[in-house]
Amino acid sequence: MNPVTLIAQKERSALLQNQRGLVWLLAYAGILSAFALLLISNRELSLLDNAQVVYMMAGTVTAAGALIAVIMGADAYAGERERGTLVPLLTAPVSTGELLMGKALGLVSAWGIMYLLAFPYLWSVGAGGQNLGQAIFYLGLFGTPVVLGFGYLAMALSARSGSVMSSLLTSLIVLLFSASPLLVGPGLRNSTIGKTLDAVNPFSGALNTFDAVIIDSDPFTGQLARLFLVLIWLGLMFAFARISARRPVFR
Amino acid sequence: MKTTKLLLVTILLLSSGLATAASIQLQVQPESANPSHPTMGDWMHFNSVISNTGSKPIEGLVAWISLVEVTPGKEQPMDLEDWSAHKAVTGTTLKPGEALKTQWPMRLIQSGDYRIVISATDRNNSTVFTSPTLQFHVSQKPVVESTRILPVAIGIPLLIAGLLGVRKYRGHHKTS
Repeated sequence: MNPVTLIAQKERSALLQNQRGLVWLLAYAGILSAFALLLISNRELSLLDNAQVVYMMAGTVTAAGALIAVIMGADAYAGERERGTLVPLLTAPVSTGELLMGKALGLVSAWGIMYLLAFPYLWSVGAGGQNLGQAIFYLGLFGTPVVLGFGYLAMALSARSGSVMSSLLTSLIVLLFSASPLLVGPGLRNSTIGKTLDAVNPFSGALNTFDAVIIDSDPFTGQLARLFLVLIWLGLMFAFARISARRPVFR
Repeated sequence: MKTTKLLLVTILLLSSGLATAASIQLQVQPESANPSHPTMGDWMHFNSVISNTGSKPIEGLVAWISLVEVTPGKEQPMDLEDWSAHKAVTGTTLKPGEALKTQWPMRLIQSGDYRIVISATDRNNSTVFTSPTLQFHVSQKPVVESTRILPVAIGIPLLIAGLLGVRKYRGHHKTS
């Protein structure tokens, strides 16, 4: 079997068959469940329109997915190093490029599982409302580059630093900063600084698109600039991971 | 003689009462920007004018809003918790001829037929003055349904926890 496929399968199975992976998946489902339960336990939130709730759930799925991707990415090289399995991997007949591709594809598969797991949550809060199909489509289109970009960022830092803790913390700080629009509503971001950050922040790009297509039913053509932004983010982070993975810290 | 004294005392008491009695007039109108067909979750605003039509100042004025449900079969006074954070105006002084304009915002929490009324009294008066009532209907809105959310929000983590338990159990049996 192709070494890239082999590594990708191992990485994907880590999420479904490994105890540690299942705990991550449980944490992901726990975040989505907590948010869904909050919606029905809080009177103010329970009065929100279905489309508004689906938008919020799509944002939460993206944030939770990025969080798990960051954990997996931070573990990709530094975790192997700390478990003493990185040197055998690097001495195996697999190039560093193939190793990275395997790990990158493993992350794609893991996000695929999380994306599928988000469907019942989106349905539960949004069935009977408007644009549920749009929400699922745009979560795939915009959520995927954002989530994978954060995973590759953590992977790059993991290969560079050789420490899970260090790469995880740095990636989490970047993620928290980028995901701040989830907490700060569009009205409060309507300043020069807010608009500038929105223009360069891929997380804001995805959130603004969710807002536009789910709540306002805007057409796809209006989302092209934001799609470009999230794809640039994905490309840059993958390039960063590729450069960093050429010479991972293994001592 | 006794009858004359009694009459005098009664007149004195009445006149002192009239001297201190405040004359408050209340009017309430819905805000023109209110939704014409309000539904659950909408905001409505009511504008009240409380006027001192008497000749003495009103001190320590207290005005408050009340909400009553009049849906057939469900008639009841409503607790304004969740509906409004602005429930009263207190401690205001109104000179003769002065008026106090207040806006009362309200978030519509439940569907049904409702009436609001503004009431007012002051520190020196035992009378409670009330405005005419305003009635409105709140329509039902499709919102988040707990019957759909609960099975998903509880079922999926339980399923993953079950998978985790099976994996742990198998791992334990393999090693032993």
